[in-house]
Amino acid sequence: MAQTINTAVTRTDAPRKVTGTATYAADVIPSGMLHGALATSSIAVGTLTGIDTKRAEAEPGVIAVFTHENLPDFKTVKGFYAGGPGSASFWPMEGNEIKYAGQPIAYVVAETAAAARRGSQLIDATYEVSEANAHMDAEDSFVIGASGDSKGMVTTKGDVSKGLAEAAQTIDVEYTTPFQHHNPMEMFSATAEWNGDKLTVWMPSQSVRTLRGGIAAAYGLPETSVRVICPFVGGAFGSKAGITPYAMLTIAASKAVAAPVRLIVTRPQMFTVATFRPESIQKFRLGADATGKLTAFEHIEISQTSQFDVVTNPGTHITRAMYASPNIHTEQRVARSDTNTGGFMRAPNEMQTFFGLEQAMDELALKVGVDPVEMRRVNDTKRHPVEDVPFSSRSLMECYDAVSDSFGWDQRSPEVGSMTDGDWLVGFGCATATYPTNILASNARVRMQGSGSAYIELAAHDVGTGSYTIFAQIAAARLGLPVEACDVVMGEADLPVAPLSGGSTTAASAGSAVHDACLRIGRAVAMEVTAQSEGPLAGVDPKLITLDNGVLRGPDGKSQPLLEALASTAAGEQEAVGEFRHPALTDKLIRATFAGGYGTAGPVTPEFAMFAFGAEMVEVHVNRWTHEIRVPRLHGAFAAGTILNRKTAHSQLMGGMVWGIGSALHEVTEVDKPRARYLNTNIAEYLVPVNADVREVRVEMLDEKDDYVNPLGVKGIGELGIVGTAAAIANAVHHATGKRLRKLPIRMSDLV
Amino acid sequence: MRNFAYHRPDTIAAAIDAARAEGAQVLAGGTTMVDLMKIGVFEPDALIDITALSELEGFEVGSDRIRFGALARMAEVGDDTKLSDAAPVLTEALWKAASPQLRHAARLGGNILQQTRCPYFRDTAYSQCNKRNPGSGCAALDGGETNLHAILGGSDACVAMYPGDWAQALVAFDAEVKTQGPGGSRTIPFADLHVLPGDTPEIETILKRGELVTGISVPVIPALKASHYLKARDRESYAFASASAAVGVEMEGENVRDARIAIGGVASVPWRAREAEEFLKDGPLTEETAREAGRIAFADARPLKGSEYKIKLGADVVAGALMTAKSRTTGGE
Repeated sequence: MAQTINTAVTRTDAPRKVTGTATYAADVIPSGMLHGALATSSIAVGTLTGIDTKRAEAEPGVIAVFTHENLPDFKTVKGFYAGGPGSASFWPMEGNEIKYAGQPIAYVVAETAAAARRGSQLIDATYEVSEANAHMDAEDSFVIGASGDSKGMVTTKGDVSKGLAEAAQTIDVEYTTPFQHHNPMEMFSATAEWNGDKLTVWMPSQSVRTLRGGIAAAYGLPETSVRVICPFVGGAFGSKAGITPYAMLTIAASKAVAAPVRLIVTRPQMFTVATFRPESIQKFRLGADATGKLTAFEHIEISQTSQFDVVTNPGTHITRAMYASPNIHTEQRVARSDTNTGGFMRAPNEMQTFFGLEQAMDELALKVGVDPVEMRRVNDTKRHPVEDVPFSSRSLMECYDAVSDSFGWDQRSPEVGSMTDGDWLVGFGCATATYPTNILASNARVRMQGSGSAYIELAAHDVGTGSYTIFAQIAAARLGLPVEACDVVMGEADLPVAPLSGGSTTAASAGSAVHDACLRIGRAVAMEVTAQSEGPLAGVDPKLITLDNGVLRGPDGKSQPLLEALASTAAGEQEAVGEFRHPALTDKLIRATFAGGYGTAGPVTPEFAMFAFGAEMVEVHVNRWTHEIRVPRLHGAFAAGTILNRKTAHSQLMGGMVWGIGSALHEVTEVDKPRARYLNTNIAEYLVPVNADVREVRVEMLDEKDDYVNPLGVKGIGELGIVGTAAAIANAVHHATGKRLRKLPIRMSDLV
Repeated sequence: MRNFAYHRPDTIAAAIDAARAEGAQVLAGGTTMVDLMKIGVFEPDALIDITALSELEGFEVGSDRIRFGALARMAEVGDDTKLSDAAPVLTEALWKAASPQLRHAARLGGNILQQTRCPYFRDTAYSQCNKRNPGSGCAALDGGETNLHAILGGSDACVAMYPGDWAQALVAFDAEVKTQGPGGSRTIPFADLHVLPGDTPEIETILKRGELVTGISVPVIPALKASHYLKARDRESYAFASASAAVGVEMEGENVRDARIAIGGVASVPWRAREAEEFLKDGPLTEETAREAGRIAFADARPLKGSEYKIKLGADVVAGALMTAKSRTTGGE
């Protein structure tokens, strides 16, 4: 059997996606379905003093209009940062309080989507308006952890003041990153259908079990009464993890009108009814000796949060793992402002913090007078700088060496502004990427048939990443079957437990459970064939038999293909539920995942620190007339353990890097300050890169072996690609123009 | 979207008759109209779809004038090699506008009447917008920092920016607009079509109710051949201009005989920079004089917070465009 792992396998679901036959959540139309639409608040903070629904109700096709005054049986759940499954702790339409612009104030149900949308435009609301600020005030920031105290949110090792005093060069700088909002291709949607006390919800989700558990608990139903289905997701990136008000409103409205209801959130509403990347300030004080070696490392992150949740995505936990320093101080702070609660957006802890860290390293390298790559080399470390455990594997400098070769870093003339190409100033920049290896418990069921096929079932998700394909590859490799003979079923809460698809965990954790199920099939078949009177393995001690790429191997060269062995068993078919329980997973963490939460072990365990690494290099051009900033070349080299599928992994890393171009040069949610309302809530003016902005993107994946992280040796790659890109571009802009831009996005307005 | 009546007349006379009714709006490609109807900014009683009027299609590159039907598509015109040879500014300005999908749908008559992208106009949650709601005020004047406000031509009532590209080329080269309406036909200098916001920003053009744009024409002059449209924007495609310049030059020896300069992404209406043109005439065109012409073009700019940079950016774009145009003259570099 050909090797299937670490090869380039085309997505098994590609034909369905390109022919439009893949059924996304909103493609399902239950019989008799009605349409929902949200009306949202025009003010940010205040009181809804009146809401007149008469005009909406008079619109032809409108069946019902729900407001806080008449919404029956509306259930809520606790927000994620308060330990629950919700996207936020504040639930609109429970009362007349308005806490952010674009907050839902009414839910219209109609016979057609057009009538529902029109109805939502005809809601007449009056408000008592209070002062509001969408931007945080960093002066009001405070240290607090998710658990309500500051535990773990401050790190101190040695004495940073002393380290700074001893340094040959120091920097004390501040970087800012803006609000960014999720704009996946697939709009947010929810479809609910009640059948007595049974509820079915179709909704794009990164965690069908979180949804099912939360909804069932809210309605006091057994989980068996709630089905949550989403076989395909058209981009999630952190936006489709929690239970949102629009989902709960759809469920409540469906119950009230006694008919299935589907809501598709509009593009402008997508900016206010779900989570986003909060704005942040990254403060760095670094000191280095004359060789560039760090003597002091201080990072204080101040991140925006809402008035009703404390978003703590601790980026300082990642930056402090990067470079050796005898003196380290980090602080995780938040400041409140009048928005919905932010949350996860691709590399939620790393994108903004590494924009700061990796520019700070560049700035310090320039001051010390060492090459930026050498700056990383002298500060590379095989042990976690704070936790004092070794890295399970760390190939950072191997990544730098590989990308330096492919990019031609030696062609860089170190002097700022010294390289040009016609009307363009040219700059080269580099930056480090990293992503923690998070570990979650998972199960998976595999059924292998003597006819030569296998079914793999688990409540995991393919959020566009290629999970369908890699699970088939893992099963194919272990069982000795062709990939196309392995059928993967996912995206339903009723399937065997798999974790939330977030934090780059699905391949590693759920994939390890698939791997384990296959090994169990091998053992079960070995038990049977060794007990038979004839056959290649008859009479062999089954404990001595291993499953090696589809072949059962015993001592003395005895072996039998698994499929052949299976066909000789009584049932001719074998099923097993595999488990992934990393030794670092405590019972508490396993239970949390089984309850639909995020029970992650790592990235630091008592034995090892687990991270994937990468290095990115970029060529930036700045036009001398238009000041336009373009990125003709972006190269990255990454080491993330075993690469399961070189094609989908390449796409993942490249996609992250492309998004990094957007973060660097395009993306920002603009704010109307007096009214604390977002201005560019459409994808004409909320800029993301278009094809013309993405020229040469080269991705190299290094071989890296890591036996500790999981049996497959897989680290996550979903978020890794974006992490260094923005800083690399900022460093290249500086190299081209001499302008150090410590804010995102970097626009031509900064360079005129 | 509010319900509306839909008519698709097959003669110009019937179209004018239908379009003159109170609450009627003309529909061609629909790329702006339908968008604004969906978000509740436009709520017409009736749409008069003029796409059956085939006599308004097509275009012709003549030796004295270039004539465009109002229903010619942006894409077919932008792709035409004969036109790009005769008048590069006219194809470049179309090519750099919108996306291929939009250019295939949108018609030239609608393109020149494109609505502003001012976020306060487009989001009905803002109660203050004098253009959408005359007399309600202007939320932009104390609002956020955006690229989308005019720094030239704005008033205390409205700083909405004209967002289009092609119109800069038309105003620079003395285009004319042909119309037919209830009062008959007329020919309007393109420069007179759009009106400054003043105290009445809801009035955007001199077109009367029921008056249809039927065609656009541009006189062929030497500077048209050595012309260029330069558009500066934060992403490479599908973005409105942060600043743009439609320029053309005719040289006589070392000196400029004729210069045409219009600037986009910065003004309330398509904006001709006549003083900058005058400055260049009868003098040499060098990087230095080109930059000075750019500065002159923005001498009267009144930026809002966040758009101050456009004065320098716009001047640099004018200068860059002029240098490219010069390279297209006979004997140019």
